[in-house]
Amino acid sequence: MAPKYKEPIQYPWIWIVIIVICLIGVPWYLPQGTIYPIIIGLPYWAFISLIASIALGLFLNYVVKNCWDMEALKDDKDEGGSDI
Amino acid sequence: MNSEVQFIGWHGIAVLLVYAAFLLGMVIYAAARRDIRDNMKSFYLGGGGLGAFLLFFTMYATQYSGNAVIGYAPKAYRLGYAWLQSIPFLVMVITGYLLFAPRLHIFAKKYNFVTPSDWLHKRFNSKSVTLVGTLLMCYGLANYLLEQLVAMGHAISGLTAGAIPYICGVLFLVVIMFVYEWFGGMKGVAVADTINGIALLIGIIGFLVLTLQHVGSFAETAQYIAMTAPKKIGVPPLSTSINWLSMYLLVGIGAAVYPHAIQRIYAANSENALKKSLSRMTWMPFITTGVIFMIGIIGIMAFPGLQKAPSEKLVGLMANVIANKSVLSYWMMMILYTGVVGAIMSTTDSVILSLSSLISNDVYGRFINPAAAEKDKVFWGKVAGIAIVLLLLIVAWKPPATLYEIFVLKFEILIQVAPAFLIGLYWQRLGKKPVLLGMLSGALVASVMTFMGLRAPMGIHAGIIGLLINIIVCIVGSIAIPLSKEDQQTAAMIDFRKVTG
Repeated sequence: MAPKYKEPIQYPWIWIVIIVICLIGVPWYLPQGTIYPIIIGLPYWAFISLIASIALGLFLNYVVKNCWDMEALKDDKDEGGSDI
Repeated sequence: MNSEVQFIGWHGIAVLLVYAAFLLGMVIYAAARRDIRDNMKSFYLGGGGLGAFLLFFTMYATQYSGNAVIGYAPKAYRLGYAWLQSIPFLVMVITGYLLFAPRLHIFAKKYNFVTPSDWLHKRFNSKSVTLVGTLLMCYGLANYLLEQLVAMGHAISGLTAGAIPYICGVLFLVVIMFVYEWFGGMKGVAVADTINGIALLIGIIGFLVLTLQHVGSFAETAQYIAMTAPKKIGVPPLSTSINWLSMYLLVGIGAAVYPHAIQRIYAANSENALKKSLSRMTWMPFITTGVIFMIGIIGIMAFPGLQKAPSEKLVGLMANVIANKSVLSYWMMMILYTGVVGAIMSTTDSVILSLSSLISNDVYGRFINPAAAEKDKVFWGKVAGIAIVLLLLIVAWKPPATLYEIFVLKFEILIQVAPAFLIGLYWQRLGKKPVLLGMLSGALVASVMTFMGLRAPMGIHAGIIGLLINIIVCIVGSIAIPLSKEDQQTAAMIDFRKVTG
């Protein structure tokens, strides 16, 4: 029976999304030394990195809110819990 | 950290005295209770009853030390826009927490954990694993504490323009911290951290507003840097990007498994409080290190051509310029420096408390005098805390000419206990011998590399290389060595069916 509780480690897609956001946010794939365009005072690559950081923050908030509920274990107990 | 400012002298001393008195008064009013001093969990974890508000501020003020202001602005100055990484690598700490905090929190509540070593003991039931893990954490924490004590002395000396000498400044703040820790334990620390965290936030944001107003604009600076120092604004070389990713791992995992960070997971009064605090913590890098990053970048145009040593004084240089503009600016800079001192205090007090708890609960209570009463354990923990700080003060005052490197290892050592948590929480097969061997080999590799000057070969930090070896030893060793019947029974504690209820 599928467990009722939620724990981020159970969901591989969470970690894939985090890795992808991290890889997008670090400018390893962009041509070295390029600067322009400058957006709100940031070179384009730093702007991309800032957006990736915000995306990471939003995503982590989503995960904390929706994919973490260990309190449900208390209700789950009578039904046998999980087999982790 | 050297940030002597010319504008603050006796005013700084007065502000510091008033601030210290306010801090003590608030802690004694809000947290001092006689009964908490007789019980380990009450003293070291605030009875495991910290709500979302106090928990968030103690997490924030503990994680961001004074170095995040005084040290990170010069880093942005020297490295340029690549130091934007100071935002995401601190957001990654929340990712680190998500790897283990949800499960560890419920185990901590079930088994009344006080220190990280309680987990090691419960999970592996091995004196060697508990002792080695405890000693590694104590060693890493002691060095971290030493760094904070040195920073504290420089900050006070800077705040008062040298009117209070370095060592007197450290002693003054140490006494204040010991008084509120002695009376209030974790609750006292959390109250002090809340006040310090608010002072830091006000100071940093005021600093940015005044920098934009009086020193230079962020957008103009970008154009200036593109013309005069294109290396600081262009896409960095691959080695910088690798180092950046390595920082994600080092800080993301390292800062989350700091013993005092783990104890805040234990101290949360509910899962909901922990979740709320971590959600809010996600945004703090943007308004803390993000703001400091902007200030450091603006400094490139305002104070061009500073070499490494003079650039370390960047915050002081900018504060001088701002303070001379108006009375309001002057007092805002005073708040900034008070916030910086507060930030260092709030990191230091948590480290001292964590170190005391490890010594009283694990070294004294587990190995020296297992029959000791809770009250005695708390007492000896406090005494050990004072003794360690006094020893470290001697080192901070007159650093030894040789063997100084042994005081440098912090993250590199602390992170080596991570597999015992990250893997141990989920994989029953993980055995005590591989964990022990993994911790020792990871710590050895990271230490030897650091002593040889290989702190980050090819951009990858020595601590991360040690951690990788540690993980490989843990996994390969656990697959190769089957668990005994007894160990299987011990490891079965991570089965949730035995946790609930």
